[in-house]
Amino acid sequence: MAAGAPAAGRALVIGLAGIALTALGLLVSGGAKVAFSWLVALTFWGGIALGMLFLVMIHHIFDASWSVVIRRQFEHGLASFKWLALLFLPLVASVYFAPGAVWKWMNPAYDLAQVGGSGTVGEDVLWAKKAALLNPTAFVVITVLSFGIWIWLSARLRAASFAQDADGDLKWTYRNRVTAAFGLPLAAVTLTLAIVLWVKSLDYHWFSTMYGVWYFAGCVRAALSMGVLIMVWLWVRGDYRGVLNANHFHSIGQLMFAFTVFWAYVTFSQYFLIWNANIPEETFWYNLREMNSATGFANQWKWVGMLLLFGHFFVPFFLLLSYKRKLSRTQMPWVALWIAAIFLLDLIYNIWPSKKDGNGDALPFLQLHQVWTVTAVIGVGGICVWAYLRSFPTTKLIPIRDPRIGESLTYHESSAD
Amino acid sequence: MAAQPYGLVAVFDTAPAVYHAAETVRDAGYKCWDCITPFPIHGLDRAMGLRRSKVPRISLVGGVLGFTTGMSMIWFTSAYDYPLLVGGKPYFSPMFAFPVSYELTILFTAFATIGGMFLLNRLPMHYHPVLKSDHIVRGLDDKFLVVIEARDPKFNLAATRALLEKAGGREITELEA
Repeated sequence: MAAGAPAAGRALVIGLAGIALTALGLLVSGGAKVAFSWLVALTFWGGIALGMLFLVMIHHIFDASWSVVIRRQFEHGLASFKWLALLFLPLVASVYFAPGAVWKWMNPAYDLAQVGGSGTVGEDVLWAKKAALLNPTAFVVITVLSFGIWIWLSARLRAASFAQDADGDLKWTYRNRVTAAFGLPLAAVTLTLAIVLWVKSLDYHWFSTMYGVWYFAGCVRAALSMGVLIMVWLWVRGDYRGVLNANHFHSIGQLMFAFTVFWAYVTFSQYFLIWNANIPEETFWYNLREMNSATGFANQWKWVGMLLLFGHFFVPFFLLLSYKRKLSRTQMPWVALWIAAIFLLDLIYNIWPSKKDGNGDALPFLQLHQVWTVTAVIGVGGICVWAYLRSFPTTKLIPIRDPRIGESLTYHESSAD
Repeated sequence: MAAQPYGLVAVFDTAPAVYHAAETVRDAGYKCWDCITPFPIHGLDRAMGLRRSKVPRISLVGGVLGFTTGMSMIWFTSAYDYPLLVGGKPYFSPMFAFPVSYELTILFTAFATIGGMFLLNRLPMHYHPVLKSDHIVRGLDDKFLVVIEARDPKFNLAATRALLEKAGGREITELEA
């Protein structure tokens, strides 16, 4: 635990450096492009935090036992929400100071000819029909409310869990169960609204009922991956020796496998329903990510999409089928890193093609402006890791007085070779 | 009565006793033997030196069969046997064959898992020599049994009996085949 402080300082420096570099990008690429990179970074790290929030609440609502020893690490991860809210402020400010720069529909006078359309947003019937939700007030209110709810739920879950370390009172377990019971629907609704407003509305013509579930699946996959990385890190460092056994690794590996299939199910359903109905109001979203209308040739995004199909489903699916690999403390961190990296790519795939040229075609995937995506992800990531490491030494490694801690420490599920 | 018995059965009073007895029998190199306990004992499989179940491999075969059945069935019915245009779509595309293939993957995996489990456990088994033993009733209630079968290459009536005695087994009796 002593190693927590200097590492936290390093993370903070890396985070601030990343943010400073991204700010420098404002001068090079302009606010409208850097804002997209910033949005990618926030939905990536915010997604990890949301996934952890869901995992903690799912743990409580099912009265789970095996995950008690790793729940504490997710609780530390929840410390990042208030910083993520702070880091989101520039995007909220853009609503007032540069409407239309990030989300076109914020500015009714936005000339759609710039992106291959005609008329202005204000004249667009497809916007008018959706204006009840797609307006600056709703955006700001929902964003503030969402972060508020996530911060509040996190604070409740953390406080009760940490308090139990001291007195061992069962009331904290019951309180967290109640928090999870009302927190899960609250978090589900706010997650859906947030991702619809932040990302889906970048192309506000489009609609998909799968969108919230798609983001949820990605969030939990990334959070589980982060969980495996933390478990292996603390195992190698020695903290988790004698705490974790093969069954804990097997179970979290099984969850990663289940959510791999879940992500594929949701993402395929979204694609398949649009492919099958084949109506232009929906297909344009995928066409944009497959070919340039100006030339008729495939664009770079097609290959990103293929990479998602194989890299985000087939590769992890077959890797995680193996029982031995799920127990491997040398292989699983790579699988986890891969899944987290592809989650990032998935977000880039959903966000960036909304930046279009005059023909209405997506700007290419490989463009210099993507440098700011890298710096933003490092910047926001540094802050999130710092928040985790800062929270880490403030409590016990595991919830030592949780009523199910004994069950968790002796967790045994099946024949572990 | 046949000269060669089915095997030897020994009774143990506590879970730790049978656990350590299992370790002793495992280390003595026996292969055809089993423990009978009233409830699952965590870690007993390891103490017995049991390998992981082979059922997952059978499940995988079922899954692959299910997926290919789905894909080829859709191809056969809508592109080969009776080509039919639906909604301007191609005769065959993995896109619309996928939901069916996905369902059949799950269905065949489930069948293979259940079937594989039955097969590997030689179920259904309506008779087993241990059922004749007087101890079996206690073994399903509050005692713990170790049964070593005579077909085990290491089986020797006197030596095996001595081993079970050394492991702390009581009421060691021969099982009628």
